[in-house]
Amino acid sequence: MKGPYGWLFDPNRCIECRACEAACKQWNGVPTGVNIRYRRVYTWEAGAWPAVSVVAISSACNHCENPLCARACPVKAITRRSDGLVLVNRDRCVGCGICYEFCPFGAPQYDPKTRRMEKCTMCADRIDQGLEPACSALCPTGALRWGPWDEIRGRGPAWIPGYPVPYATLPRIRFVTTPARP
Amino acid sequence: MALTRRSWLRMTGAAGLASVHSRLLAGFEDWFQPASSAPGEQVLITACGICDSACAIRATVQDGVVRFLEGLPGDFQGQGKLCGKGAAGAGFLYDPDRLKYPMKRTNPRKGPNEDPGFVRISWQEALDTIADRIRSYKSRHGAESLLFVTRPAPDLWVRFMRALGVVNRVDHRDECFQSDMVVQRYTTGGKSWGNDFENSRYILLFGFDMVTKTKLAYAHGVLAAKQRGARIVVFNPEFNTQARLADEWYPIRPGSDLAVALAMIHVIVNENLFNQEFVDQFTNFRQYEKEIRAHFAHYTPEWAEGLSDVPAEAIRRIAREFATQGPGIVPMHKKTLAANYMNATQLAHAVSILNILAGTVDRPGGRYFPRTIPIPGVDAVYPPPAYPRPEGRRVDGADKLPLVREVDSGSFSTLADGMLNKYPGMIKFAFFNMYTLLAFPLPAQMEEALRRVEFTVVMDTLPTDTALLADIVLPSVTYLEAADLVPREYWAKTPQVVVRQPVVPAMFETRSIGWVAIELGKRLAPEYFRTPTGEWISPAALLDEKVKRAGLGSSFAEFRSVGIHTRQQPFTPRTTFATPSGKCQIYVPEFAARGYDPLPVWKPKAEQPSPEHPYYYLTFIPAIHRRNSTQNNPILHEMMPTNAAIISRTLADRLGVREGQMVRIRSRVGAIELPAHITETLRPDCVMVAHGFGHRSRMLSLAGGQGVRDGDLIPSRAIEEFVAAGNFGGAACIMDAVVNIEPL
Repeated sequence: MKGPYGWLFDPNRCIECRACEAACKQWNGVPTGVNIRYRRVYTWEAGAWPAVSVVAISSACNHCENPLCARACPVKAITRRSDGLVLVNRDRCVGCGICYEFCPFGAPQYDPKTRRMEKCTMCADRIDQGLEPACSALCPTGALRWGPWDEIRGRGPAWIPGYPVPYATLPRIRFVTTPARP
Repeated sequence: MALTRRSWLRMTGAAGLASVHSRLLAGFEDWFQPASSAPGEQVLITACGICDSACAIRATVQDGVVRFLEGLPGDFQGQGKLCGKGAAGAGFLYDPDRLKYPMKRTNPRKGPNEDPGFVRISWQEALDTIADRIRSYKSRHGAESLLFVTRPAPDLWVRFMRALGVVNRVDHRDECFQSDMVVQRYTTGGKSWGNDFENSRYILLFGFDMVTKTKLAYAHGVLAAKQRGARIVVFNPEFNTQARLADEWYPIRPGSDLAVALAMIHVIVNENLFNQEFVDQFTNFRQYEKEIRAHFAHYTPEWAEGLSDVPAEAIRRIAREFATQGPGIVPMHKKTLAANYMNATQLAHAVSILNILAGTVDRPGGRYFPRTIPIPGVDAVYPPPAYPRPEGRRVDGADKLPLVREVDSGSFSTLADGMLNKYPGMIKFAFFNMYTLLAFPLPAQMEEALRRVEFTVVMDTLPTDTALLADIVLPSVTYLEAADLVPREYWAKTPQVVVRQPVVPAMFETRSIGWVAIELGKRLAPEYFRTPTGEWISPAALLDEKVKRAGLGSSFAEFRSVGIHTRQQPFTPRTTFATPSGKCQIYVPEFAARGYDPLPVWKPKAEQPSPEHPYYYLTFIPAIHRRNSTQNNPILHEMMPTNAAIISRTLADRLGVREGQMVRIRSRVGAIELPAHITETLRPDCVMVAHGFGHRSRMLSLAGGQGVRDGDLIPSRAIEEFVAAGNFGGAACIMDAVVNIEPL
């Protein structure tokens, strides 16, 4: 399997339909009702009426090049696969939640039923079958795209206003900031 | 208890049980069989049924359990994708709250705090009881005593109602696009929801959040147009998602869209900027030129500015650009914000005129009529004996709006008034299919009206608030267990049909409304439910026949393995239009003949802010919910479990309200209490509440008791109000309330 992979997000194309979130829940069987969401869409308002601007962002684990979550884990339950996917080994995880504290994006989340941390796997099982992750596969407008990191890394900044500052984690996400014009 | 995929997998046992039932009832329900319920993985094509867009689905089924739903490449509606609702579709199928068996009420008292005491009965008993009731009420009180709150679909159900001579069938379209249907019939002569955004150069959007309503064909079209450099102008009191995508946004005063549209017509006519060739050839402009020019002469942009808060120079410039930098399009569909004030019929007419003047009706870049593959209905396949003439009074008063009756529509907003005040006691029997109390303005009043009905039947997938008032409830299949042929209508420049097929066996003892039509028909009007050779109509044979006659294949079984059929043909713009004159009608003589305005005139919305009720009350449907039918879906519920009073920062500061603080909103008909959500994206004179929340049914384990009903503040209406206001399209005025707000 090649890799690493990353996300490319274009806030100018996001219509907040949340197909990415729903597809993620459905494919990964993420429990509902306990506030675990591997991926979530949120909006961020700036400015004041009527000169207001709003940006919608779909956010999940960015499978960082420098995953502080993995470094912080006291039991080494978070590892990086050879293709760059940062994964939680639930057999090792003790549910202490330190990874969550170190993640700029709040990606790892606590499942009160299993008492373990869970997070986006970038649909590792789909990638292994040669499929793209469920979220980007369903995104109707192409706002959320996924692909080889080499093709994405030069496409825009790693941060836009409204998104958490990644500090030193080197997230594998880029934002399209040029308006959708020919 | 929340449902997870893990519990769905645990429910494999339940799915096995369901297939046992299906086998037992095979002769009973012969079309509800998936291609295979064998172990292993299979991929089936079907059509989404959450909204009418009906995007094509590629369903992965693992060991008889729906594993994943995604879009089908090649489908024109979803263009290979699904929205969040569609992606969460398995949650409807596996909702543990689903109605599973027919049930009857044992507690005769009906009310919000009464436990219906439902007990399971057989389909046989349910159908026999319903048929007896219908027979008895009809013979004693006439067909007018029967109320059907259902859509005019499917064809078998329509045949059943027509065979009974039903007078009172009503659905929700008055809250939606009914006024536009009425207007289109006489101005352009067609359906109103084909929008060729992708070829448009200038898109004017009044109200209705076209992109987040997630009719995906629209979202794709608007984004494609934007990509190609089309100009997008939005008039909306809220800086919503489509405003974000737009080049220009004007926070228009609620209810004044009509003024802006009239002023744009004024500019285009006055400066002769209309599409000369189209207007001369295909419209009645020249015939009524004098009337038209005189009529719009005083609707100046300066006049409109005073009503709408949109600057006159902006109106003038946008009108000029729209007319000359086209093709330009003004879509007009659905209820949100623009379409549903008392002046909505006039607005629909004005918007239709803008499209006609732009010369884009059924032209690239404009509103066009869907090109579909005609699917013959049951009446074409098995011609029925003559139907009885429906006789009796319309309980909703829609007979006072003859143009609404022409499009076989009615009025939700006046139904309670008719049942309680105009014709008390007339309705003895009510049948609801997939409509809840929340769909009505003033749900409490509708509940009161329904409690006085002697016998109520509710067919639904879930134990809704309406179901709790029923004497008999019938469990319905979801769209993932149903069979049908679904033509594409929201993107229909090239005809296309997609199959709808059961991707798993119908769960429990659920049935389709078409099957119920046949079973009740056998009992009540058998002559309408036999084939020419004297056998009972079978849904499976009917589907086979439809497939053959539509040229889709030799049988339904064959077509469902193919799943989708596209008929390549060039898009040939129409040169005659299905109006009485065969032309696009700007001036509508038929309106004049009925005493209505032949050209749209300015009328204010019904209710204006006053010291007592100083704020506009707006409701909206969030992107991830479809009306009031999706709130119990575990995935969608988690994304948005409840609603809030959305108010601007300015207003919150003035009222001294903090984020999350409870507020009471009061209109002249009711009050609701809910937490405030503060935003910078809404006009300070508005308060906005999401529709679809406030289900009371305790049998809805997720949605029940969550949020408040937006409709509690929306006045129901008397039909005379519509007649007096020139609202001859019968728009339900669900955006027309004014309110006050107080912090708690």
